[in-house]
Amino acid sequence: MIALPEPDPEILSRGGEIVAALKRLVPDGVVSEPAGLAAYDGDALAAYRQTPLVCVLPKSKEEVSAVLAFAHEMGVPIVPRGAGTSLSGGALPRADGILLGFGRMNRILELDLENRCVVAEPGVTNAAITRAAEGHGFYYAPDPSSQIACTIGGNIAENSGGLHCLKYGLTTHNLLGVEFALPDGERVRFGGKAPGGDGLDLLGAITGSEGLLGVVVEATVRILPKPPVTRTLLAAFHSVPDTGQCVANIIAAGIVPAAMEFMDRRCIEAVEMYCAPGYPKSEAILIIEIDGLAAEVAQGVTQVSEIARGSGAHEVCEAADEAERARFWKGRKAAFSAMGRLAPDMLCMDGTIPRRALPAVLARMAEMAEEYSLGFCNVFHAGDGNLHPLIIFDVMTPGELERAEAFGAEILRLCVGVGGVLTGEHGVGVEKRDLMPEMFSDADLAQQQRLKCAFDAGGLLNPGKVFPTLSACIEQGHAHVKRGAMRHAELPRF
Amino acid sequence: MATFRVSSEADVVEVVRGARESRRTLEIVGHGTKRGFGRLVECDDVLDLSGLSGIVSYEPDEMIMTARAGTPVAEIEAALAEHNQRLGFEPADWGPLFGTPAKSATIGGVISANCDGSAAIRYGRCRDHLLGFRAVNGFGEAYKGGGKVVKNVTGFDLPKLFCGAMGTLGPLTEVTLRAFPRAPIAAVFRIPDLSMERGLALLRRVWSSPLESPSLAFHASTALIRLESFQAAIDEKIAMLRNLSEPEPQRIDDDADSVFRRIASGQMVESEGLLWRIHLPPANAAALIGDIQPNSWCADWAGGLLWLASDGDAHAIAVTLNSRAIVVRGDSSIPPFAPEDRVRAQLTKRVKAAFDPLQLFNPGRIWEGV
Repeated sequence: MIALPEPDPEILSRGGEIVAALKRLVPDGVVSEPAGLAAYDGDALAAYRQTPLVCVLPKSKEEVSAVLAFAHEMGVPIVPRGAGTSLSGGALPRADGILLGFGRMNRILELDLENRCVVAEPGVTNAAITRAAEGHGFYYAPDPSSQIACTIGGNIAENSGGLHCLKYGLTTHNLLGVEFALPDGERVRFGGKAPGGDGLDLLGAITGSEGLLGVVVEATVRILPKPPVTRTLLAAFHSVPDTGQCVANIIAAGIVPAAMEFMDRRCIEAVEMYCAPGYPKSEAILIIEIDGLAAEVAQGVTQVSEIARGSGAHEVCEAADEAERARFWKGRKAAFSAMGRLAPDMLCMDGTIPRRALPAVLARMAEMAEEYSLGFCNVFHAGDGNLHPLIIFDVMTPGELERAEAFGAEILRLCVGVGGVLTGEHGVGVEKRDLMPEMFSDADLAQQQRLKCAFDAGGLLNPGKVFPTLSACIEQGHAHVKRGAMRHAELPRF
Repeated sequence: MATFRVSSEADVVEVVRGARESRRTLEIVGHGTKRGFGRLVECDDVLDLSGLSGIVSYEPDEMIMTARAGTPVAEIEAALAEHNQRLGFEPADWGPLFGTPAKSATIGGVISANCDGSAAIRYGRCRDHLLGFRAVNGFGEAYKGGGKVVKNVTGFDLPKLFCGAMGTLGPLTEVTLRAFPRAPIAAVFRIPDLSMERGLALLRRVWSSPLESPSLAFHASTALIRLESFQAAIDEKIAMLRNLSEPEPQRIDDDADSVFRRIASGQMVESEGLLWRIHLPPANAAALIGDIQPNSWCADWAGGLLWLASDGDAHAIAVTLNSRAIVVRGDSSIPPFAPEDRVRAQLTKRVKAAFDPLQLFNPGRIWEGV
C-alpha cells in the first residue's frame, strides 16, 4: 500500500477560514460538509480513499484563477479533478488540500466545422464532444473506456488513449490548443485552432502532466471525418503466444487497424458469465477493427484474415451486421466489470511493451500469476503493445492487497525490462509513483522535476503524485542527487 | 572560438561541463544547414554533433528507429525505405534556402527546427514522431526523456519540448522515432485554374472528407492533392476526389513525393527578402493572404500552413487571424518568432532555465534570453 500523506496540521487548523474564503470566491460552488465531500473522496483507483479538506466547483475560468491565486497565497495544495475516473489515483484528494472540480464547467463553446475543431470547457465529457460534432459527420477520436463520464480536461491531464489510438493517436495528437491556468492563477494560451508555430511546445509539455503543472480551463480539439465503413473481425486462437505473434505479424505487414484488442481465456470466461457475448472457445481472441473507405477496408480485412489464419487462428469471423459488431465489442467493453465481479477488488496495470515482446511477456505473466496465486487475466490494446493485466483480490484478506501490488509491480518491471514503459495511458499518479525509478534514472527524474518547478515552484499542484520523492525547487538545481540518497529526507513523502 | 567535434554522449558531457565551468556559450550544430534560421546567436564555441552519427537500432517490425542526433536524415530515410517505411512527417529540407547543400540535414537539426513536411497533416508532425531522446542538460548531465514504444504516458512528455526548441534546451544526443508504412500507391492530382478562394475551399473539402489525403497544397492557381492507398483501392479514392472537385482533377506523373517536398522546403515561393511560414486555422488562409498581400505564396496542410514572401511585418497581421508567423529566412529587421505575452514569456524563460540555467546553449536563438 502506497503511503498516504500526513496532513499538514497548520493547514487543517485554518480549515474554517479557507472554506469561508473560498465561499466568497465561488459563492455557490463550495462543498465542505462531510456528506457532500464523501462523493469526492477518490477516483477509479478504488483502493485509495481520502476526503479532501474542501471541494470547490468553479463555473468560469475567472473563478478557477481566483481559487488558484488564493491557494497559492495561502500555501494550500490543490488537486484538480475532472470526473474522477483516473485509474492511477490522479485525482486522489489530500486531507489538507482543495479539490478543484471541473464538473460545472461543461459547456461546448464552439463547433468550428470549417477548421475541424471543437472548443470546450474542461468539464465537457469526452463523449459530448463527439455528440456535438457527429450530426455533421465528424467525431473526436480518443475514446477512453470511461468516455461517457471522463472529461476533456482530465483527458488532457492524463493524455488519455483508448481503443482506437493505434490509428488515431492519444489526446496529445488530437489537441490543438488550451487556455491554461498556472498555479498562481495567471492564465496563458498554448496553441490555438492551428497547432504549432508558437515557440517551445508547451502544449505538448502540459499534455499528460497529470495536473502537476497547471489546469486546463479551455480546450480546442481536432475532430475527424467519420470513416464511411467499419468492419470488425474476431480471430480465435488455441495458444496465447500464437495470438501475440499474430499481432506482431499484422503490424509488421504495415497494416494499421483502427483497433486491435486482445482477451485471454480467463477474461473470455469472465465475460461469458457476465454478459454472454458468445465468443468461440479459445485460449485467446483478437478483435480487430478496420475503418476507412470500402475498397481499402476490404483489402485490409482480407489481409488481416490471411495473417490471422497463417498465425494459427482456428477461427476468423467477421461481424455480419451492426448487431453482431456490438456483440463482439460487448464482451471487450465489459471485461473490467466482468472481472470485477469475480472478486471484491481489482488492480488494472497499464504497461506498454514492444509488440515483438508480446509472446514472451504473456508467457512470463502467466507464470507469475501462479507464483502469486492471485486471480488474473489479460485484456489489452494489442496493436500498440499496451497491456492491461487485471489482478483480482480481496482487500479484506490479510496480505492480498500487498501481494497484488507486488505482482503488479513485477509485471511493470517486466515491461520496462523488455524495453517498454510503466504506463501507456492511465498515468503514473499515486499507483506507479514509486516505480518511476525502474524506468528513469535519478538524472532523468531530476530533469522532469525541474520542469515541474518551472511551472509550480511552490509544489502546490497535485503534490505527491508522479514523482517518488518530493522535490524542493532549489534555484538552478544545485542540489545534486546522489544515488541511493533520498533528497530532502526531512520532507514528508507519500 | 573553438569547435568541439564530438563522437559520443560522453564527449558531449565533457564539452558541456567545460563550458559550464568556464561560462562559455555553445552554438549547437549538426551539418549547419539551418544556421540562418532563428535569431542570430554569437556563441563563444561551437558544439558540432555531426560526428555523433549512425543508426543505433532499427526494428522494421516495430516501426521504431533510434539514431544518434547527428545522423543525416537521408541515411535514416534510406534505411526506412528499404523496408517500405518512412517518417510520416516527411522531414523538409531547408538547407538550400540558406545556400547549403540539399540532403545534408541531420535528424537532430530537423527535429530542433520542426521541419515538418507536407504529410504531417495526415501522419502527424515531427513532435508526434519523436517518442524519446537522450540529451545533455546545462548541468552537464546526460539524461533521457520519453520512451521507445508508441504509447507512453510515463512522466512528463519532454520529447515534445525538444521539437522546435532550436537547440535552446541543450544538445540532443540520440532520438527514437516512430515510422509509418509507405503506402503501396501514391497518386498526385492537379486541379488548375482555380481562384484562391475556390482552391482553398476545395482543399478544405477534401480535408473534411474521409479521403485521408496526406498532402493538400495550393500554388499558382493550382490545387495539388495526393492520395494514397492499396492498388485495389486507389480507384475508389480517385472517384471520390472527382466527386468533390468541380474542375476535373488531372493525374500527374511527377514522383509523388517530390512536388510536396519542394513545397515543404519553401522552394515554391519566389523570395529574395523575407520568407515566412505561417501556422493558421485553414479557413483563415484567404483572409490572411488578402491582408498581407504577399509577393509570392503557396499553401500546404489544406491551408493550415502558408509559405509566403513579404517584406512587411506578417507577425502583426497573423495574430489578428489566430495565426502564428515565423520568419524562416530573413534579416535582423524582424524577429523570427512572434513575441509572447508577459505571462507566457516568463514561463518560457523558466522552462529554458530548467534545462539550461546558465544559458549555455544557443542563447537567444528563439527570443532574447531563450
